[in-house]
Amino acid sequence: MNEKPTQAMPSVEVAAEASASAVSGRPIAIQVNNLDFYYGKAHALHNITMGFPERSVTGMIGPSGCGKSTLLRVLNRMYDLYPGQRATGEVMFAGQNILGTGLDLNALRSRVGMVFQKPTPFPMSIYDNIAFGIRLHERVSRSEMDGRVEDALRRVALWPEVKDRLQASATALSGGQQQRLCIARTIAVRPEVILLDEPTSALDPVSTARIEELLDELKTEFTIAIVTHNMQQAARCADQVAFFYLGELVEVDSTARMFTTPRESRTQDYITGRFG
Amino acid sequence: MGNEPAHTVTRYDQELDRLRGLVARMGGLVERQTARAIAAVVDQDEDAALEPPELDVEVDALEREAESLAIRILALRAPMAVDLRVIIAVLKITGDFERIGDYASSIARRALKVEPLDGALSFGALRNMARLVQENLHRAIEAMVNNDSECAMQVWGSDTAIDELYTAMFRELVTYMMEDPRKISPCIHLLFVAKNLERIGDHATNIAERVYYAVTGEMLPALRPRGGAAKKPG
Repeated sequence: MNEKPTQAMPSVEVAAEASASAVSGRPIAIQVNNLDFYYGKAHALHNITMGFPERSVTGMIGPSGCGKSTLLRVLNRMYDLYPGQRATGEVMFAGQNILGTGLDLNALRSRVGMVFQKPTPFPMSIYDNIAFGIRLHERVSRSEMDGRVEDALRRVALWPEVKDRLQASATALSGGQQQRLCIARTIAVRPEVILLDEPTSALDPVSTARIEELLDELKTEFTIAIVTHNMQQAARCADQVAFFYLGELVEVDSTARMFTTPRESRTQDYITGRFG
Repeated sequence: MGNEPAHTVTRYDQELDRLRGLVARMGGLVERQTARAIAAVVDQDEDAALEPPELDVEVDALEREAESLAIRILALRAPMAVDLRVIIAVLKITGDFERIGDYASSIARRALKVEPLDGALSFGALRNMARLVQENLHRAIEAMVNNDSECAMQVWGSDTAIDELYTAMFRELVTYMMEDPRKISPCIHLLFVAKNLERIGDHATNIAERVYYAVTGEMLPALRPRGGAAKKPG
């Protein structure tokens, strides 16, 4: 029953999807090779090798503690903020191993932005929330700053909602608006990669749909990696999906294939809700 | 279809089991319909002829029940991977069963109209064809119940013989009709019987294809293997 006869071929849709997809079509923006990660003595990621294709969405799924968020935090060296955490192996981005020493971490993080599970607006005005990030990395004139702020807010479809109260406090926005503001803040510094760690888990369905719609637009320009516990979200948003379990990368493939015909039984058990 | 470990949500398993049960029952009924329809023709059995149309009511009801359960599972459980494939297969297989039931009923209704062919035409070819069709249908259902992609593959590849027998019967009947126009009416009925049997065989093949997809996630090629001589007339 597991043996595939020679006449068989992959289903038409899946085959078409695979050839046009992230998996085979696009150049790789970030290539992870033989990555191991440790929280002190705890070995959190085991020999991970995978690529994040340019201008497409990679979904990362798996049960809690499987290492998906850890991998996300490696991609912009977020783990450097904590003592005792270390990574070995290679993460190639823009021709450079970002795990190497002597890397300008601020520069890296301006190129690889991150959005967190809970919206993290700064306790300042809507305008300054966006301007803050830009000022960290660049010196721009007042008028240019106005343009950059408006552009960022427009791209997350927040502009019509806030254009008349840019000086109001960002913390007064709704959860969904705050999250879109955080994405605007991230893209305002013009990164190449956006990392999202469960960006909609605290949001209602309408706000979630808005963010998902946004991802669809943003991926024409950015390389996106999203960690999500919501399988349907991965199915809706991602071009390729990686399944992690106990610190291992079990399987990575085009989204259509992962959710119709996963190769590994562990993947199948997880996505069909059979995890014992 | 479904040798997987249990779902975390027990109700989900129960729903899928119920769905499988409904399709299995449909399979049993259409096998019975087909067998009785064939007996009605080759044994000229009046009682047998009554049964397929009666059973058809139950088959149709089961189809509706399975369909609405499948839709419900799709809507409420958002099935993935093997679960999704099984449900898609079930939706299509119930359609195949329903058609088989209709063909069997149609055969049964014609059964007694082929009778006047006395002597001139034996039911030999029809018996052979019926045996192969029943065998294929039975094995397709078995493949479905046992998640046996190997068996499904064999059924899928063994429709050629049925097509060839149908072609032979077609030629034979055309000859009879040309020889004696008085035989045209019963011959036409018999031709329809053969055609319906041949269609049942095609649906058995479809079922095998769906089972193969549900089990492996691969689709069988669009073109089935065919014998060179078995070009189907009409």
